[in-house]
Amino acid sequence: MTPPDPHAHLPLKTAWFHILLTLADGPAHGYAIREQTEGRTDGAVTLWPATLYGALRDLEELGAIEPLQGDADPDDDQRRRYHALTSFGAALLRAETERLQGLVDAARASRAWGGT
Amino acid sequence: MGGHVRLRPTLIRIGRIAFGLLAGLLPPKARREWGREAAADLHQLLESAGRAGGSGAVARVVIRSLMDLAGRIPVEWARVLSMRERHGHVNAGGSRQGWGERVMSMWHELRIALRTLARRPGYAATASLTLALGIAGSVSIFTVVRAVLLEPLPYPDSDRIVSIRHHAPGLDLPELENSEGTLALYAQEADFLSEVAAYDTGERNLVSEGRPERVEIVQVSPGLLPLLGVDAWLGRGFTEDDAGEAAAPVALLSHGVWVNRFGADPGVLGSTVRIDGRVSELVGVMPEGFDFPSPDVDIYLPLYLDPQGPFGAFGLAGVGRLGPGVSLEAAAVQAEALQERLPEMHPGIEADFLEGAGWSVSLERLQERMVGAEVASALWIVLATVGVVFLIACANVTNLFLVRAESRQKELAVRAAMGAGGRRLAGGFLAESLVLGAAGGLVGGPLAAVAVGLLVRHGPPGIPRLHEVALGPLEMGLTALLAVVAGVLLAILPALRWRGSRLAGILRDGGRASTDGPGRHRVRNVLVAGQLAMALVLLVGSGLMLRSFDAVRKVDPGFEATGVVTVGLSLGEGVDGRAGATFYQEVADRVGALPGVASVGLANAVPLAGGSANGGSFYVESMPRDDDELPPVAMYKAVGADYLESLGHPLVRGRALTRGDWESGEPVALVNETFARRFLPNDGLGEAIRWDEELDFARVVGVVADVRELDLTEPPRAWAYLPLVVGEWGYPNMDRAYLTVRTQEGASLSAPSVREIVAELDPTVPLTSIRTMEEVLAAETAGTSFTMTLLLIAALTALFLGSIGLFGVVSYVVGQRTREIGVRVALGARAEEIRALVFRQGIGVVAGGVVLGLVAAFGLSRLMASILFEVSTSDPVSFLLAPVVLVAVALLATWLPARRAARVDPLEALRAE
Repeated sequence: MTPPDPHAHLPLKTAWFHILLTLADGPAHGYAIREQTEGRTDGAVTLWPATLYGALRDLEELGAIEPLQGDADPDDDQRRRYHALTSFGAALLRAETERLQGLVDAARASRAWGGT
Repeated sequence: MGGHVRLRPTLIRIGRIAFGLLAGLLPPKARREWGREAAADLHQLLESAGRAGGSGAVARVVIRSLMDLAGRIPVEWARVLSMRERHGHVNAGGSRQGWGERVMSMWHELRIALRTLARRPGYAATASLTLALGIAGSVSIFTVVRAVLLEPLPYPDSDRIVSIRHHAPGLDLPELENSEGTLALYAQEADFLSEVAAYDTGERNLVSEGRPERVEIVQVSPGLLPLLGVDAWLGRGFTEDDAGEAAAPVALLSHGVWVNRFGADPGVLGSTVRIDGRVSELVGVMPEGFDFPSPDVDIYLPLYLDPQGPFGAFGLAGVGRLGPGVSLEAAAVQAEALQERLPEMHPGIEADFLEGAGWSVSLERLQERMVGAEVASALWIVLATVGVVFLIACANVTNLFLVRAESRQKELAVRAAMGAGGRRLAGGFLAESLVLGAAGGLVGGPLAAVAVGLLVRHGPPGIPRLHEVALGPLEMGLTALLAVVAGVLLAILPALRWRGSRLAGILRDGGRASTDGPGRHRVRNVLVAGQLAMALVLLVGSGLMLRSFDAVRKVDPGFEATGVVTVGLSLGEGVDGRAGATFYQEVADRVGALPGVASVGLANAVPLAGGSANGGSFYVESMPRDDDELPPVAMYKAVGADYLESLGHPLVRGRALTRGDWESGEPVALVNETFARRFLPNDGLGEAIRWDEELDFARVVGVVADVRELDLTEPPRAWAYLPLVVGEWGYPNMDRAYLTVRTQEGASLSAPSVREIVAELDPTVPLTSIRTMEEVLAAETAGTSFTMTLLLIAALTALFLGSIGLFGVVSYVVGQRTREIGVRVALGARAEEIRALVFRQGIGVVAGGVVLGLVAAFGLSRLMASILFEVSTSDPVSFLLAPVVLVAVALLATWLPARRAARVDPLEALRAE
């Protein structure tokens, strides 16, 4: 079986992008992902429950993230599941970031930013 | 904050239940994979929203999460279906083609549905209009709730602005706001507040170009507009210098006054007007739509706050802005702790005194303060009510739908036989119900707009921000959402009942075999019982409101309101007491000479209609008290001769005040019965009281009946009535006065003649109001009657829909059993027996609905406690009468089809086969 191509999934949905971006800093559970996303976007993006947990399921099915077994914080609520980024997930995040970077470069080169 | 404290857990519970119900529409696979986790997450989200932002924030989270979930449901179903497709057809080409096919087949189903419905216009119209009513009711009330309760106030970071209030249950005074003393405490010591400001509403006489007018004003401390984050639109706001003790008088105009009175002329800036006699410069105009603290404000004046000001005069409203990172809860705790510093700042205030008075402070969001807990509870209750009506409407249409599906069973069976799978048939139902839902939404949306227009125009005066109400994109979204929810709800039961496998037998036996099984009508019976139960809940609710309204109306105000007109006039602030009283008395005497006038009284405040009454601690001559003892507190106002007689305010013992009393300057007073009973020995006559240690004691010469002076629904307080002019010892604030004019029977007071009289004496004095006492009393009950009317409309709609449902089911059963009934008649059954047979069918359903409804009503009516007056939430009258009404209507709905059944002609019935 050929390795999956991250570019087939671009552009990423907003929720997917923010989930992957949060998990790039280390494993987290759903509630923390929402809080970090809100912090990162100054409250402009809120991942409401259905979108958030639906997207986590989608990403897990795609192999971009995986549930973390065992070593969750023992003080934490047992119901919380931790998620971690897989190498495919990291590739997906990189591919999207490069795509966005390309767009930003193109925009900066345009007349609006003093390009020619 | 009362209502909100109870409201928040209720809202959270409602939110979780709604989320759970909506999640029930997810495919089971998705529910397993992430539904439970999302629900647990929502719980946490709601709790933290409740802690951080109050009930408004909770409601916002609930709505956004539900909309998010609703959007996710079709996505999840598409996933499940496309997966099945992929498993079913190997190499079918992935999901893209599956999607295309599905869209085509859905389109196909929709076209079929449209055609089917077009062939049955009566059914289609009934169903979609019922849904439209349910949707319009829910959307229109939601619009009001959003604008009034959920939409933040139009100031930057308005949820950080808090209102500061104090409470002292140990003193028998109305709610305490702030004094210069408390404000200085917060301004100097409260580091949890980044800004503190104050305002005070009132009225003034405005004279510009020689025209006098009574205007609503707000005095604001210079920090208030910056605290709100609002600047003058033209010109400038107030500076600290404007509010100095000896500052030149300046004023800001509201946008409305600037347009209406000053012709929107920017040149008025720098010009002067007379406000209560003081020449004031107009320095600015506020932005359009700025309506703090109410839309009635005409003019803003600077408010001077003396940092050394007294602790004891609580007339100022205080607001603060929370410091960075400080939560409302933390601020409230710190504010309470700060109260210990009061004795330090105000040497006259002992810690024991504060403790004895039960002194405390409360912070609440400015928005909650503006709306008020009572209005908020009433709105939530009405919203819940229309939500129930929406559910009843859905149940009703589902019933119609089931009946329709049954009459189509042969057609469905043929489709099944020709290879349509269960999913395909379900798709057919869904298409049809979605078309109905969409039609309901298309009609319901505009209907909601009309309803909102009516509410805004005819709503009671007590609902703040009502003028901001308008249908917005959120309401459009809600309309669409309800239309889809209705569409999906309608299709669920038929789709379950008519799964392909069940249809196999129908063709075999000509569509008759299964018509008479005992479980046949269970689903519809349960639906109808549910509708009747919900209708009963609403009937009980409106019964409670009716009883409450009745109780408010029956409150005896204590005086004879019929035939009394109150006339307000004002000389403006700072008028000399004796000069003022003389002027007003002159007006009163001349009005008394008008034809048709029986008597005219004079006072600086009239019951329920406002004025300048005061309150505070007082001294009784015969009962000296220790300094650390809690002083008794009572209200007082100034009245002239003939006041009691003109108002019909009964004298219980002793004598009334005479004109001689204020001409002689002899200090005398009247007290009401509550005052005498609570504070004075014996019958109170001959005792002496005073409110100020520097003034003479006033001798009590008469005791009058208790009158509801401030609020019709609160128990009477202790009041004293002092003469209008009291020489050297007088308190009266004579900036305004009210005439109480009793007209002779059949006569009425001529407003133009009164105006003429005042203008003759002084053309710069405006009449502030002319209202009959009956109007004043009616305004007191306006809020209750508004809520009552809405609930009653909702309850009657529910009753109507529920009875239609019952009628439909029983009629249908009669139709189905015509043959059986024919046989019975042929075998000699009498008409009564047939009627009883059909009746029994209906009675079971009605009984189920009544029991279910009473249980639910018993639980839910407790939520209404805060808006009821002198009616228990388990009021036996409401709980007895509501079921009687319901049963009566329900019996009629069963009786009509039963009568038809009894008239079945056996020959016709048998021949019809």
